[in-house]
Amino acid sequence: MSLLQLKDATIRFGGLTAVNSVSFEINPGQLFGLIGPNGAGKTTCFNLITGVYKPTSGDILFEGQPIAGTPPNKIASRGICRTFQNIRLFKSMTVLENVVTAGFLRHKTGLLASLLYTPAVIRETEELEAEAMKLLRAVNLDHVAHVCSADLSYGMQRRLEIARAMATQPKLLLLDEPAAGMNPQEKQDLNGMVRNIREQFGLTVLLIEHDMRFVMSLCEQIVVLDHGEEIAQGGPEEIRNDPKVIAAYLGEPA
Amino acid sequence: MTRFWAVRLGSIGLAVVAAFLIDQLSRGNDFTQRLVVLAALYVTLSVSLNLINGITGQFSMGHAAFYMVGAYTAAILTLFNPVLAAKNPLLWLLAMIVCGGLLAGIAGLLVGVPSLRLRGDYLAIVTLGFGEIVRIVANNVKFGEKGGSYGFSVDVRVTAVWLAWLFAFFAIAMCRNLLSTARGLTFLAVREDETASLAMGVNVTQTKVTAFVIGAALAGGAGAILAHFEGFASSNMFTMDVSFIIVTMVVLGGTGSITGSVVAAILLFFVPEKMRDLPDLPIGGITAFFIVIALLVAALRYVSQQYHGPAARKALLYAGVVLAGGVVATILGLILNSIPAVRATPLVEGAKLRMVVFAVTLIVLMLLRPQGIFGKSEFSWDWVRRLGRGGKAVTS
Repeated sequence: MSLLQLKDATIRFGGLTAVNSVSFEINPGQLFGLIGPNGAGKTTCFNLITGVYKPTSGDILFEGQPIAGTPPNKIASRGICRTFQNIRLFKSMTVLENVVTAGFLRHKTGLLASLLYTPAVIRETEELEAEAMKLLRAVNLDHVAHVCSADLSYGMQRRLEIARAMATQPKLLLLDEPAAGMNPQEKQDLNGMVRNIREQFGLTVLLIEHDMRFVMSLCEQIVVLDHGEEIAQGGPEEIRNDPKVIAAYLGEPA
Repeated sequence: MTRFWAVRLGSIGLAVVAAFLIDQLSRGNDFTQRLVVLAALYVTLSVSLNLINGITGQFSMGHAAFYMVGAYTAAILTLFNPVLAAKNPLLWLLAMIVCGGLLAGIAGLLVGVPSLRLRGDYLAIVTLGFGEIVRIVANNVKFGEKGGSYGFSVDVRVTAVWLAWLFAFFAIAMCRNLLSTARGLTFLAVREDETASLAMGVNVTQTKVTAFVIGAALAGGAGAILAHFEGFASSNMFTMDVSFIIVTMVVLGGTGSITGSVVAAILLFFVPEKMRDLPDLPIGGITAFFIVIALLVAALRYVSQQYHGPAARKALLYAGVVLAGGVVATILGLILNSIPAVRATPLVEGAKLRMVVFAVTLIVLMLLRPQGIFGKSEFSWDWVRRLGRGGKAVTS
């Protein structure tokens, strides 16, 4: 059974149809790419999946259950977590605190216990911190765990966003342009890191990306959007040679 | 685990000892005692508002309303149970703190659930309105001949300085405890970025409402203490001014810093009180004072922006600027006062001047340190140790 399934997902903002009848299926363990020119509706698609928007029509199924219209925090606890195109860290917190915050999703202790700072809460906090450190090691940020997250370099902030999303222990990880603004070396490192994380944590990854070489080298299955419409779907080779995709990116031949 | 209990019992013991020490030191003088109790209540109020405004980032301007709900709950319950209340006043007060806190918490819930969907300015306006509504309703609550704009007299008076401070310590401990846990981090996360918090599975609305209810309940407890200390509760004790002063305390101390809220509450409460003793001053001196303040602010801002040397030398530079300012103020004052026309002007009453000085201090502080005295940092022993070694303080 597919992990995530979009069935004719459509959303309209007034007269604008941002995503029009998009359907695709992601199988467990896949590295899935979502590409398209600027304004194609990629991020809107993410917002539909993560519950920021409710689709005007169509269905979104996660593990066979409909999730369209569920609040974002509930969707996160079901096992879908994301990063943001324009980095959205908790800036005044340290790197470690950012990751621990996302781990709170799995807490068991109550509010009263937190206020009284009972041994159970202390233990839970320590466990969350230990888990967070493990994730920081996976994205190679453990040496800056106690640095304020706003003071990190751009590439590090991107990696921290991934670690933070990982802390919710998602089944499906959504990465919104993770390689944006990175230099070729950083992109290569990121490529290795995403593969590594998938192996280590048994994840499924859906990513939006502009860098074709990056997507083609990483993703096993790709969907191409243009003006909210799905124009192609397939493996990297198929997509590379698809005339519609070439037209969308480079324009029609004269 | 033994270490846990040692630390826990040690801190509780320390708080109890501190509260009783403050109680002993303030004895003998009714005026001092009153100031010390009110200071404790303001500490509680600013710490509890800091949880809402600073830590969770929800700008509330109606904190006096929750303070009032607590006070009125205590007053009205005492009115209807005079015999029970008089039997054991201290126990009654403890019960009233709980009741006042509970009712204020419920009020917080009622206001919070609908209004916390709003952000920023809108929330500020709604809470401001709520504060006024509560005050006006209270102004019209009457039981027979009692109540109304005269308020209620609370016949069971309890003067317990130690209890007021113990309650303040309790409020501080609650906030600190919360912030040391992952749950506390979600409160900060809501302040930092609601969208990201949601995506990380944080129930943003619930977090905001929780902060609001806890903050309101602590303020309500303080209100109950106030009612029993003053011996009455009336709506004009809880005007908008009170809300503003609490907000000022939080902002001045550093939005989000518990330490800052405590320090600013004590400073903002005692400094204006102390300035009641200000001598009458000639207008020349006052003019000189304000001119120099303006110059000082300009100079200090210049230093802080242009000088990028070692911290110790920077501090020395600051001290030099302030010292020079003092000298300039004295000379300028003397010159101005030597002009007959200026000298002929009447003296200005010191007591009236104090609110002006208060306002100027706030303006100066906001110009020089907009993030508040403590910024977002907290007091910790580690911090003191680093400071002692002369190193740069790194705070959480």
